[in-house]
This record gives sequence, structure tokens and C-alpha cells, in this order.
Amino acid sequence: MIELENIEKIYRSEGVSTPVLKGVSFRVEAGEYVAVMGPSGSGKTTLMNILGCLDTPTGGRYLLDEIDMVKLDDDELSRVRNRKIGFVFQLFYLLERATTLKNVMLPLIYAEEYPADAEQRARNSLLEVGLGERMNYHPNTLSGGEQQRVAIARALINDPAIILADEPTGNLDSRSGIEVLSVFKRLHRQGRTIVVVTHDRFVAEHAGRIIQLKDGVVTEDKAVAEPRDPEAELQDPERREVAQ
Amino acid sequence: MRALGVAAEGLSALGARKLRAFFMMAGTIVGIAALVVIMAVGKGTERKVMKRVNNWGPRAIMLISGGGKDLPPPDMTVTTLTLEDADAVREEVDDLELVSPMVWKLYTTIKHEAAQLRSVVWGVEPNWHRAYDWYVSYGEGITAEDVATLSRVCLIGRTVREELFGEEDPLGKRIYLNNVGLVVKGVLEERGTSPGGGDFDNKLVLPITTAMRRVLNVDYLGAVRLITAKPSLLSRQAEDIRELIHNRHHITPPQEDDFRIITPLIIAGMARGISRTLYILLLVLACLSLIVGGVVMMNILLVSVGARTAEIGLRRSLGATRTDIFLQFLTESLSVTLLGMLLGCLLGWTVCLVLANTTQISLVLSWQPYAVSVVFALLIGTFFGVQPARLAARLHPVEALR
Ligand SMILES: Nc1ncnc2c1ncn2[C@@H]1O[C@H](COP(=O)(O)OP(=O)(O)O)[C@@H](O)[C@H]1O
Ligand SMILES: [Mg+2]
Repeated sequence: MIELENIEKIYRSEGVSTPVLKGVSFRVEAGEYVAVMGPSGSGKTTLMNILGCLDTPTGGRYLLDEIDMVKLDDDELSRVRNRKIGFVFQLFYLLERATTLKNVMLPLIYAEEYPADAEQRARNSLLEVGLGERMNYHPNTLSGGEQQRVAIARALINDPAIILADEPTGNLDSRSGIEVLSVFKRLHRQGRTIVVVTHDRFVAEHAGRIIQLKDGVVTEDKAVAEPRDPEAELQDPERREVAQ
Repeated sequence: MRALGVAAEGLSALGARKLRAFFMMAGTIVGIAALVVIMAVGKGTERKVMKRVNNWGPRAIMLISGGGKDLPPPDMTVTTLTLEDADAVREEVDDLELVSPMVWKLYTTIKHEAAQLRSVVWGVEPNWHRAYDWYVSYGEGITAEDVATLSRVCLIGRTVREELFGEEDPLGKRIYLNNVGLVVKGVLEERGTSPGGGDFDNKLVLPITTAMRRVLNVDYLGAVRLITAKPSLLSRQAEDIRELIHNRHHITPPQEDDFRIITPLIIAGMARGISRTLYILLLVLACLSLIVGGVVMMNILLVSVGARTAEIGLRRSLGATRTDIFLQFLTESLSVTLLGMLLGCLLGWTVCLVLANTTQISLVLSWQPYAVSVVFALLIGTFFGVQPARLAARLHPVEALR
């Protein structure tokens, strides 16, 4: 599904060039739950921006569903983002002035055709993340964990090929973080493809595979023998401690 | 369809911050209101001018004795304008349909039996009827024979008829004026009151020769009314007449004229009066507030683009193209100016109603200002909205989300 081949990203500003990604290659198959892990400044966000078609690499090849993303123009990349990618950001990015339901429906505005069942889809999305009761609330009346789940519902509404999450628990307390991770786990079980970017080993260990990134190169890429189970952690405060 | 959805996002951003929206549209409101008032004043003035010019006669030139700037003087006090001047004009100025000399006397006592009245007396030639398009409604008008024979006849206006004769039939009755008996031969059509409030119908008209030699004892004229056959030549004819009279009266320009020439253009200018100044003042005010309003709106939008980078980044990540972002912000500025326009029209309309009820300013409400306002609103919304919208659209999503 995702195929990265020797991806490079060099930032150039005022004559100074900063190489951030120095030849990153890996594949992600449909239905995988992958964590990209690395210390702060290792280029995780840069990589996620490229995966999410928000940015273009300065070198290498990126195939998404066998299509070369490097060759697409800005409008085509926008369409890919709308159709195939669901983003979850550290800072949620919900519109304060809109209700939960409207926030979830936002991506549909940018779809080629506004679906007739938009509202029903948004409701279903919210049900999937366990927020069926909060449709008409405004984001500022929700807890951080709930806000991030609204953001996940929004990412799900266009039924994306892949969900990309950048430090999704970074702004949450441990319990809310685990709630969010349990939503990811459930989505994974339903067959969705998820890439989570994090500096946090505890978070990464919920995925089925961890790709280690350091100084712009992949230093390790291996399956997690026994992924953590967020449901169990929610039941057991002891296990939750590890998250601190 | 998609564009509609994007536009709706621009609108909802506006609704979310009402105070900000109000500040953005304040200039447009004032500007458009001023524009609506201006156009009502302008139209009202033009209507007033048209009416005055039509009353005056759009083809009429008056050559009046005496200098200065006022309209006909209270009485004939200048003795320099003569019948020979009138004849010379008739001879030497081409394309005049008619030349009608006249004398007058204001507030002269006229009597019939016991009744008396102070009235305006005019001595005229037969073509006076055509020159003023003013005929008798009853009886007969002044004829060439009346003038040739200095006949003691007169025409009276409605007021004279009512005051001197009441229900009685005035035809054939005698009116005394300076001890000269004049037989009433006709009653003039009603003309009502002048813009200055004078009564046009308080009038007694007699043959010019009778007036000059039997009643007033003068050998000079009060004025000559001229009707051009070619309205497009009117201004040039007026100048020709001026030159002719200069020569005849031996006047060289730094010297003051002893006559005046009034044309429909001068009448129009007098009718416009201060409304012209008011008009220009309001126009400047309107343009200024539209431009200032546009600049204020642009700056608020520019700040708002800065404050909403995260939102823009988010929308881009959800699939918005640069065009979508551009449209959203342009919709915002256009809805500001269009809404401002609606409120401005309402305000302008209210001001017009208040002005119409409390002042003498002539106003005419019409649909044109609203059409012009829509155009202005669209122009200003676009002109000052494009810059912020472009700024928003150019943001790189990655930068915006950082
Ligand atoms: N636009 C940019 N211009 C220059 N350097 C950048 C830019 N964006 C990110 N960087 C640098 O790239 C490196 C990786 O950043 P990032 O991908 O955000 O890392 P991470 O998400 O792993 O913390 C950092 O050193 C950062 O300073
Ligand atoms: Mg990062």
C-alpha cells in the first residue's frame, strides 16, 4: 500500500540546507498498525507530512496504492489527502465555533461530491469512537481525550486508506491517551491501516511493528512480539503507570 | 456544489465573530448609505432643475434691462433697453423663432367699480402668448391690431378676475389703471404660484404700445423674451446677443453691463444652488468611507489569516485546495461588503426619509442607488479581499500546521 524508496528531505532556507530525511525506505501493507518512533528532531513529523501528501520529498520515490505521489501537483495531492488519508494531530485542530458533528463533517466539504448521507456518516463516525452522545457539543466543552476522539472520527469520515497520527497522545493525560490508543486498536482490528508517529516507546508498543528513526535514517524495523493491550491497561491501573 | 460548501465556510467564519464582522463592514455601511443619499439628492436636484427649466422654457432666453445677477428686478428702473435693441436682435441674430419685448409694472393698483387690487401689469406684443405658451382660457388674446392702434384692452389672470369681478362675467367690463380705462377682452389660463411664492395669476396684460404710451409713459423696455428655433445654438445665440447689445450700448467688457442675459443653463445653475456642494461633499464622503472601509476590512482579514493559520493548515490537510481556501476568504470579504451594503442601503434609505421630512432638500428615491451599491460592494469586496485570500491560499500546509 505504502512504498517509500530512499526518501530524502532537505530543507533549504537562506542558503542553509538542512538534510532531515537521508534516504528512508520501508513498506506498509494494508491493514498494518505501524509506529514510527524516534527522538525529538529525528524527522518523524517531516516523514509523516510526506506520507500524508502535505509535503513533497526532495528525493526518492513514494508510491501510495501504486501511484507515484512525487509526480502529483498541488490540487491532485489535495484530492489524495481528502480521499485516502485521515490525519490525527497532537493539537486536535478542531474548529471551536462548530459542533462536534460539524467538525466531523468538515472533510466532506472538500470531497468531489458532497454526499447525501453526510450527517449519517458523521454520526456513524462518532459512534465508532464512542462519542455518540456528544454530537451537538462544542469542542471546548469536551475533555482532551474526547476532543482527540472527535478528531479521529473526522479522520474516519471519508473512509481513508490510511490513518496518520502524529503524537496523538502528546497533549493528553495517560488515561485519555490510552483511550485514544484503544480506539486505534479497535480500528486496526476492523482492518484499517494506521501509522502512528511518536517519541514515546509505550505508545509505539501498542502497534504491531515499530520503525525506529534516528537522524533521518531508519535504524531498526521490526514486529512487536506482543503489542500492548489498551483495554487491559484501562482495567488495570498498575499497567497504566508504565505510561507515565 | 463544492464551491457552495466552501463559500458557506466563509460565511460561517463571519457569523462566528459578529463584532469583528461589524467593524469590517462599518465603512461599507457608511459609504453605501452616503451613496444612497447622494443619489437621492442628485436625482431630486435634477428633477427640481428640470422643473425650473421647464417652467422657464427650455428654449427661452431673457434679455433683461439692468445689470447685476438677480432675476428680473423689482421694477423697471433702468432706461437703456429699447424697442430698437429688440429690433436689432430680431434683425441680426439668426435662428430665433420669436422675439417678444415687454414692459411691466409691479404692484400697481387696478380698480373696477368699488373693488381694487395691487397687481402686476405687463405690456406685451401678440407673440407674448407663444413666447410664454400662455393663452386665454376665455375671450381673446392680444392682437397685432391692438398693438398698432394702442387699443385700451387688457387680459386678466384668475386672481384679478376673482378679486375684481367675483361671480360676474368680466368680458367687456372696464378696469382702471392710472386713470386709463381698459376693457377686459380675455381671461388668462391659470398658472398658479412661482417657486418664490409669487402669484402668477395676479396679472393684468395689455398691448405693449398702450402700456408704454398711455399707462406707464416710458420709451424703454423691461425685457425681451427670445425663443430659439435651434436649442443646440442657444448658448452661442446668447453670446451673439450680448455682443450686439455691448455694441449698441457702447459697453466694453471691463465696464459693467447694463443688461443681463438669462438662459436655461443659468436657471439650472440657480436651481442646483447648494445642493451641488452638498452633492460633492457627500460623494467625497462616500468614496472615502468605502475606501477606508475596504482597507480596514483588508487589514482585519490579513490579521485573521495570521490568527487562523492552523485552521487553514487543517483544511488543507483535509483536502482543501488552494482555490478552496482562496474562495473561502474571498467569500468572507464579499459577504462583509454585501451585508454592509444591505445595512448601508437601509441606513441611507432611513436618512433620506428623515431628510425629506425635516428639510427642504429635494430627494427622489429610486432603484438605481441599490444597483450601484451592489456593484460597489462586489468591487470593494473583491478588490480588498483578494490580497488576504491570496495570502491564505499561498500558505504551505506544513508551515500552517507548525
Ligand atoms: N521548514 C523547516 N526548515 C528547516 N528545518 C526544519 C523545517 N522543518 C523541520 N525542520 C528541522 O527538521 C528536523 C526534524 O523535524 P521534525 O520532522 O519536526 O522532527 P520530529 O517530529 O521527529 O521532532 C528538526 O531539526 C527541525 O528543526
Ligand atoms: Mg514532531
